[in-house]
Amino acid sequence: MTHLLDCTVLSNAEVAPEHRRMILRGEAIARDTQPGQFCMLESNPGLIPFLRRPMSIERSEEDRFSVLYKIVGEGTRLLSKIQPGDTVNVQGPLGKGFPIQPGYERHILVGGGIGIAPLPGLAEALIRQNIATPEVLLAARSRDMLLCEEDFKSLGCSVLLTTDDGSAGMKAFAADALREMKPHEKTVVYVCGPMIMMATVHRLCMETGSLCLASLEAHMACGDSVCMGCVVETTFEEEFRRMVRVCHDGPVFDSRHINWNAGAPVS
Amino acid sequence: MTDISLKVNLGGLVMKNPVTVASGTFGYGIEYDHYFKVSELGAVTVKSLSLKPRPGNKPPRISETPAGLLNAIGLQNVGIEVYLKEKLPLLREKNCTIIANIYGFSPEEYAELAQRLEKEGGADAIEANLSCPNVHDAKASCGPALVAQSPESVAEYTRIIRSATSLPLYIKLSPNVADIREPALAAQEGGADAVALINTLLGMNIDVETRRPCLRNLVGGLSGPAIRPVAVKMVWDAARVLSIPVLGMGGISSPEDAIQFLLAGATAVAVGSATFRRPDAALQIVKGLHDYCARQGIDDIRQLIGALES
Ligand SMILES: Cc1cc2nc3c(=O)[nH]c(=O)nc-3n(C[C@H](O)[C@H](O)[C@H](O)COP(=O)(O)OP(=O)(O)OC[C@H]3O[C@@H](n4cnc5c(N)ncnc54)[C@H](O)[C@@H]3O)c2cc1C
Ligand SMILES: Cc1cc2nc3c(=O)[nH]c(=O)nc-3n(C[C@H](O)[C@H](O)[C@H](O)COP(=O)(O)O)c2cc1C
Ligand code: FES
Repeated sequence: MTHLLDCTVLSNAEVAPEHRRMILRGEAIARDTQPGQFCMLESNPGLIPFLRRPMSIERSEEDRFSVLYKIVGEGTRLLSKIQPGDTVNVQGPLGKGFPIQPGYERHILVGGGIGIAPLPGLAEALIRQNIATPEVLLAARSRDMLLCEEDFKSLGCSVLLTTDDGSAGMKAFAADALREMKPHEKTVVYVCGPMIMMATVHRLCMETGSLCLASLEAHMACGDSVCMGCVVETTFEEEFRRMVRVCHDGPVFDSRHINWNAGAPVS
Repeated sequence: MTDISLKVNLGGLVMKNPVTVASGTFGYGIEYDHYFKVSELGAVTVKSLSLKPRPGNKPPRISETPAGLLNAIGLQNVGIEVYLKEKLPLLREKNCTIIANIYGFSPEEYAELAQRLEKEGGADAIEANLSCPNVHDAKASCGPALVAQSPESVAEYTRIIRSATSLPLYIKLSPNVADIREPALAAQEGGADAVALINTLLGMNIDVETRRPCLRNLVGGLSGPAIRPVAVKMVWDAARVLSIPVLGMGGISSPEDAIQFLLAGATAVAVGSATFRRPDAALQIVKGLHDYCARQGIDDIRQLIGALES
């Protein structure tokens, strides 16, 4: 069930350069959120920016939930100015999250940059539901951009780090580091990050026979199924399934259903 | 002051209030019934329906702009069959008044759509979209040619659709013309019961880092508060020369915006992109119209239609 709520901001603190975590009080949204779902945040009261901003729900607990975001433009800049005690209108939870899959031996979470956002909540759910304590692969540009490392460790997850510049962990791309982890047919890989990273992780999983569940992004107008703006191209033959809505059919997809050669839906 | 009538008659369709939603911004009408009772609206207008389902354009399809957005959806829709089988029963069950928006690739296709909708009880009124800017290949020419840009074509299409249905027929026009009165008068001559305006304004947005257009379709249609003054002016222009009513839209996001359209001569209004910001925007506007009438001592909203002082 989706709600439209004025939520009180409990905190909005920096977690890394240009990255913040906003914790909001909104009981109905917190209660109904499944890992991998997202919300649409109103970044400002005025008409510019006009659209809401889609953000993954990082974690939800009791009456509160959090979003982890990177400041990239005007909307996220305005979000970063919001003070504890202020109110933000939130629409959510939206979309279909990660299907929790029993019957697999290994569960590997792969987060690239801010793509880590939906994964802490997923790790918690996997542990809470006694499915597995997931292995985590965190990829970032450099050491100070690595997010949530301690959060995963305190949950008991093993954490492997990779950075583009080698300032922490391996100096490697995520898919290469993942290959070293030797995923197999009984492995589920949950991935969220830049399109190009997800595409390479998908291809590796096809080689190793692993199930790959990818959380996608797309420019959204409504965030809730009515505008047809947020589609990605699929591999389905049938015309009516060739384009699927990230906000409604996703954001999490079985990577085999996505046409990774189609070009990024996010410019 | 509880006895305020918001009822209007839009070319033969009685609406309990003058507010509907704009085609393409509200899905098939029922999706948002959990945000508010959609049957509280004067009518719901569904996404353009074509004879066959359409996958639409390649993404990205949305690009935000100041106080608005560009879209290049390309009429992705489920097609008339699925609409009649799966969407319509839900709309009827909720007691919605339905304006079915249709899109065809020839006058005959429009006529067939209108005929089927009437025969199967699929609509209470028909809005023929002669003005979608997003179904042609922008690279192919200097710009897409719309039926609504040629008054002769508007008259011809309207006549053919008119002859296929006795339902109230609205012709949806494009703002991408020099003089909106010409296609509006052509629709009236062709037998339309009302004109609907405006559809989106053609526009473009460029990512300067990649030097690429933000939309895969290169160009798209601009909507949202940014276009409102253009839309109000076009409604005002059209309403003064027409004897049929106008369904006004373009950038409406508050009750005051809606009242501007009524004063300019619209009989009813459609709320479009504002729904993206607030899913219940259209209902809030109905409530705001009521409050405005109460405040101004107006007991019948029709007193506002075309009541511009000048
Ligand atoms: C389902 C989903 C979940 C997301 N989760 C997160 C998250 O947890 N943390 C996070 O930091 N970011 C997340 N994003 C991306 C986030 O929505 C954008 O970074 C944000 O909208 C940028 O807004 P802006 O005004 O700061 O940037 P601008 O670039 O100025 O935005 C211009 C327009 O483009 C849109 N836009 C820009 N980048 C993106 C993008 N990557 N995806 C979708 N729309 C975009 C904006 O919404 C806006 O309409 C998510 C996106 C989606 C679709
Ligand atoms: C995402 C989107 C999809 C649209 N799809 C349609 C459509 O299928 N048929 C149609 O006649 N108009 C369509 N329109 C145009 C709207 O119905 C409306 O005329 C226009 O957006 C101006 O109103 P607004 O500024 O309130 O959105 C669409 C607009 C948007 C933003
Ligand atoms: S954002 Fe509107 S349908 Fe997905």
